[in-house]
Amino acid sequence: MKLIDIIKDANRNLLRNKLRSFLTILAIFIGSFSIISTSAIQAGVNDFIDGQVNSYGGEGYLAIASKDSFEAIENLQNASDGPLEYNPDKIQTGATAIEPATIAKLKDIAGIDPDSVQEQKTISVDYITSAQTDKKYILSAEALPPGHIKVDTVAGTTPDLNNRDEYQILLPEDYVSALGYDDAAAIIGQTVTLGVVDQYRHETKKFTPKVVGVIAPGVVSLGYAYTNTFLADDIYAENSKYYPAELKEQVFALTASYDYQNYDIATIKDELEEIGLSAMTVEDIIGQIKSFFDVILGVFKIFGFIALLAAGIGIVNTLFMSVQERTREIGLDKALGMSSRHVFLGFTLEAISLGFWGSLFGIAVSMTIGHLANTAFHAENGLLAAFPTFNLATYTIHDIINVVILIIFIAFIAGTLPARQASRKNPIDALRYE
Amino acid sequence: MSNHVILSTHGLRKSYGKRDNRFEALRGINISIKQGETVAIVGKSGSGKSTLMHLLALLDKPTKGIIELDGADTSKLRQGQLNRLRNKKFGFVFQSFFMNANDSVLNNVILPLKIAGLRSHRRRRQAMHALKTVGLESKAKNKANDLSGGQKQRVCIARAIVNEPEIIFADEPTGNLDSVTGGKIEDLLFELNRKQGITLIIVTHDAELAKKCDRQIRLVDGRVADESTNPKRRTPKPTSYFTHDTGDTDADGILNTDKEEA
Ligand SMILES: Nc1ncnc2c1ncn2[C@@H]1O[C@H](COP(=O)(O)OP(=O)(O)OP(=O)(O)O)[C@@H](O)[C@H]1O
Ligand SMILES: [Mg+2]
Repeated sequence: MKLIDIIKDANRNLLRNKLRSFLTILAIFIGSFSIISTSAIQAGVNDFIDGQVNSYGGEGYLAIASKDSFEAIENLQNASDGPLEYNPDKIQTGATAIEPATIAKLKDIAGIDPDSVQEQKTISVDYITSAQTDKKYILSAEALPPGHIKVDTVAGTTPDLNNRDEYQILLPEDYVSALGYDDAAAIIGQTVTLGVVDQYRHETKKFTPKVVGVIAPGVVSLGYAYTNTFLADDIYAENSKYYPAELKEQVFALTASYDYQNYDIATIKDELEEIGLSAMTVEDIIGQIKSFFDVILGVFKIFGFIALLAAGIGIVNTLFMSVQERTREIGLDKALGMSSRHVFLGFTLEAISLGFWGSLFGIAVSMTIGHLANTAFHAENGLLAAFPTFNLATYTIHDIINVVILIIFIAFIAGTLPARQASRKNPIDALRYE
Repeated sequence: MSNHVILSTHGLRKSYGKRDNRFEALRGINISIKQGETVAIVGKSGSGKSTLMHLLALLDKPTKGIIELDGADTSKLRQGQLNRLRNKKFGFVFQSFFMNANDSVLNNVILPLKIAGLRSHRRRRQAMHALKTVGLESKAKNKANDLSGGQKQRVCIARAIVNEPEIIFADEPTGNLDSVTGGKIEDLLFELNRKQGITLIIVTHDAELAKKCDRQIRLVDGRVADESTNPKRRTPKPTSYFTHDTGDTDADGILNTDKEEA
């Protein structure tokens, strides 16, 4: 028998029981839809994060704190395991200060640029305003870390980190119109006013930095304004004006850059560990965001697989029913000389056909919904209007082919059981079957 | 009828079931059938007629004994060879039609040729020719289920002859039909035998039909009780009935050993 005839017959047999075939395909559709959808969202999120990381740069950037500080965060995260036993050797207030001797050792580690090591100060700004408006707005600001970090600007440049003559600031795009300017270009070179208060008496001091750039919206920048080191130092001095003297001197967090082209990050992390420090790279930080998404999407993917397994059982069931119904037909085929192999092939092709249409159906519906969602989210006032480069669902040929192959494989395996039963039928018994 | 023995059995036995349930349906059958002969297998219900026919048609395997086809032991054939043999050299008319009821008449007749792997225009032409022989070419497009009983049996005959077989096995071909329709089916079968020299092996209850055959083999409890020849019947020399090229269906050559041996 010709393969094309076997394929035609398999599809005709499926069409003979349209409702039954449709319901089986529907079960496969559910599995296909959930797997391709989660893959697409995963691909979308990863694309976006990778894009952000690329725009952020940050190769060679290290955020450093004492090991105890990182442990304190981990202890918080593991709180669900029950209270931890008290260890008198460890201070449990959270962060532990980094000793000056440790900082000196840090600067000696091979690969770390000693000049890049600097304290990361948490600064707080009370409000921002400008000459163009009477309104004051709150603002989260941070000193721009040294190293290779690129800030994606829509206008202007990044602050000059070595400039200690002039206060400079980079503002997120939303602040342009809020501060009374027509567009990003108009605010460049203008000065804005920052109100800064100390932590205890709340006396306000005003700073008037020059706006050197406007930041494009993105996930990594998260709406932060960036200052040059000079401005950050002076804001910190104002914030901590009334701190006790010893506290003022204490360092909790450092930033540094390392020679990422010639040194392995794992070795550097080991050496930091030896002197009681821990470090995170930009990738570590981004990885936390990714793994959060991965966990959620992983759960959906498992649902998809379970749906597919159930669909596989559906295929077995449907085809067993067909074998039963077609016992006499199979007997006739075999009496007239059809080989067992061709009978087997016919039934497995039916299973494969069910899998093929189910997977295609799932992918088509998922892609339609994904496209509509991407369009809706990017519309004005849409959820993702601020992130024009972020597609919620990204369908890659690779994912599509993988899903189709996976489902066809499951369908094939499911189909072999009934196909085997059919191919083993003896023509005489089958013809005697009533 | 030639003197060439096309089918013969030696000590053929068939039993069903195991131990206490063991039942001997055939208890040592020795028969031989010549090419172009018409043979009726008769006997009471349960005497083993269908069982014998299934064995002769190589649809089933004997428990003991040998079946020779053109002088060659068929137990030596592989499954694939058996399949091709049934597909190309045998035609079957089963007692209860055995058609794909929801398929068209034409597709039912085409089935053996489709299994043989013939190209679609060729198998169509051959099937239409077979339908013409049984006088049903106008019903080719109808659903098989919509035909009358007699028409269905004629479709089955068309299917049995579409591959230009050497032997037609017919199990109660007229069992379900009234005597007029049954008579037409009989005429059709004997005409095929007369015109093309096809060997006919017919299982029947019908004494009238049995009498029309060259020979009657009577089974009683799985044994041959008697054989009687009908001296009046003479089969004329076979003439070719298919006018078109038939090279493809004979390409196999499994049965063509007779030419060397004769
Ligand atoms: N698969 C089987 N399992 C057990 N016994 C069987 C089987 N097939 C046939 N038999 C038995 O073998 C005997 C012969 O059966 P067979 O069908 O050959 O009879 P038959 O002569 O064709 O009868 P009928 O004229 O009623 O068709 C019967 O007694 C039947 O019960
Ligand atoms: Mg019978």
